[in-house]
Amino acid sequence: MSITTPDQALSVAWEITIDDAPVALSARGDLVAVAGAEGTVRVLDAAMGAEMGALDLPSGALKAQLSPSASHLAVTGPMGYALWRRADGRVIVRESGAWSSSAAWANDERVAIASGRTALVFDADGEELWRTEPAASTVTDLAWLRRGRRLAVAAYGAVRGHERHTAQPVVTYPYIGSHLALAVAPTEKWICSGNQDASIHIWRTRDGSELTMSGYPEKVSRLAFNDTGFWLAADGAPDLTVWDFSGKGPAGTAPRQLRCHETITALAWRPGAAGHLASGGHDGTVALWHATGGQPANRLRPVRTLDDVDSAVAALAWAGPHLLITAHRDGRVRAYGLPSRTAL
Amino acid sequence: MTEATTTDAPRDGRVPVTVLTGFLGSGKTTLLNRILTEHHGMRIAVIENEFGEIGIDDALVLDAEEEIFEMNNGCICCTVRGDLIRILGALMRRREKFDHILIETTGLADPAPVAQTFFMDDEIAAQLRLDAIITLVDAAHVLQHLDEVKPEGVENEAVEQIAFADRIVLNKTDLADEETIAEVEARVKAINAPVQILRARNAEVDLRQILDVGAFDLDRVLKDDPSFLTETEHQHDTTVTSVGIELDGEVDDSRLNAWLGNLLRTKGADIFRSKGILAIAGSGRQYVFQGVHMLLMGEEGAQWRTDEPRRNRLVFIGRNLDRDELERGFADCLATAGAAA
Repeated sequence: MSITTPDQALSVAWEITIDDAPVALSARGDLVAVAGAEGTVRVLDAAMGAEMGALDLPSGALKAQLSPSASHLAVTGPMGYALWRRADGRVIVRESGAWSSSAAWANDERVAIASGRTALVFDADGEELWRTEPAASTVTDLAWLRRGRRLAVAAYGAVRGHERHTAQPVVTYPYIGSHLALAVAPTEKWICSGNQDASIHIWRTRDGSELTMSGYPEKVSRLAFNDTGFWLAADGAPDLTVWDFSGKGPAGTAPRQLRCHETITALAWRPGAAGHLASGGHDGTVALWHATGGQPANRLRPVRTLDDVDSAVAALAWAGPHLLITAHRDGRVRAYGLPSRTAL
Repeated sequence: MTEATTTDAPRDGRVPVTVLTGFLGSGKTTLLNRILTEHHGMRIAVIENEFGEIGIDDALVLDAEEEIFEMNNGCICCTVRGDLIRILGALMRRREKFDHILIETTGLADPAPVAQTFFMDDEIAAQLRLDAIITLVDAAHVLQHLDEVKPEGVENEAVEQIAFADRIVLNKTDLADEETIAEVEARVKAINAPVQILRARNAEVDLRQILDVGAFDLDRVLKDDPSFLTETEHQHDTTVTSVGIELDGEVDDSRLNAWLGNLLRTKGADIFRSKGILAIAGSGRQYVFQGVHMLLMGEEGAQWRTDEPRRNRLVFIGRNLDRDELERGFADCLATAGAAA
């Protein structure tokens, strides 16, 4: 199926509908995973949208993360998590009980999964290798550094860094606040948290020096670095903000402001260094941006908007630079093909 | 509920949330079971903080562990419940629509962070409405909890839970004599004058009295028992009391903001709750507000009828309340106050 839009540069490659309200998308390798609020999880072929696998998390899902080469899928939810293996299509780990906010893959062999106040690390066969000591409160997000040798764990009050097989943190980045999202620059020069108190807190990994970007009208719950690590996109307001992390970082600078949505519900950088960003809003609009253009403090307009679905955008993901996957609250999952690498 | 009062504000489509507090043994679990099993036709989601063994087919029951988070907004008493933000956020993303959400807190929980959560999170405030805080009180044992002497700086949880309540279910009245019950009611009213008390045995109360009651409906509460408005006994008291103010006239918007802002900023730690229905000069609609400590949320209420006197009504529940100072402060907010002075 291919629905061609009036503009030949962009077309709908496929569309499916799941019987749930999507909350998360993950696209890696040749697969796309979509997870719903009530726990429906579907693994799809990115090119065609054909179903390649399915599982359920009975108490609902929050996040889904495919491993880098799409050999495994980790799904986390309000009452537990599950680990799915592509080779045999089986769920090799399933645990229920605690709030599981997120999962992060170091590589195809190692995944960290949050479970209550702890993070657990599993191998590709689902064997638990080690776990962190409990944090002060429920773990909210995870990220790997140093090629999978260090795990950053965000919870209320601090982001903690754990070396492999070390329950106690080797480094603590304290900040009294509820860290909702964690983003580590691919350069690993910066660790950022989006916070309930409507701020972004930034640590320079080299010396732990701190910076707070406050004054957001709303909590910051979505943060993402682009591939180069030079740009950080964040929600927290009707405007998306894009901060310049090149050189000495964003201290004293003003962000680009991207105005399109009344309420931002998703954002995802296009793979590559072009500074292309996709964002989604509560009204169902998907916007595509050249997010790094213009001057600092500039208010940018989207290059294009897709607004024929009037159900809130639930999640966005790029399956490579030429395929944008969108999931809407009404269950629709769509793939848009973008033939040009340089244009949106 | 048949009488159409002036405070029948338009329904806004947000899902009402009831908070159930009360000491262990006060009958929360019994009441919860009653709510879940009675045929009321509502689809209810329950967030439990006390690990009861409730499993009902028609309701979603989620466990939570109390996580209190400070907010970095320079407001010393501003804490929220991180666990509730997470769980309510996940609930709102589900397709299935709940008619009602019920939060059961632990016996020792401080209601302030629970209530403040509804002020501090925009996503929650946009989709959910804190309907009422219901506190269950064990008629036979509450006096000893109220009289318990706490170390300096530690709150008496029983007093707090009563001070925060919109409705009190005075339970286990069959296990206390009439004299004790009367004393309990007097003590409850001394703390929280406008609260409505529902007597119950075995947590048997009319669910319409505790679900979707609209705690903003101050008008009806005052109509039921306006006596506390003129009560003048405790003026400088370290115990928790209520001050009600009733004054006719139109309020100057900017003076009100200055006075209320300053009051809550300086005394907010002592003021547990504040509520009011005001007539703002230049507006044809009532202004309805309610606050928890330093946080305040206001919205337009019903249209004033043309023949209706513009009567302002406010209530403060807290510690060290100075009635004279509050009355004078509010009187200065009237649009006519400047001319008179």
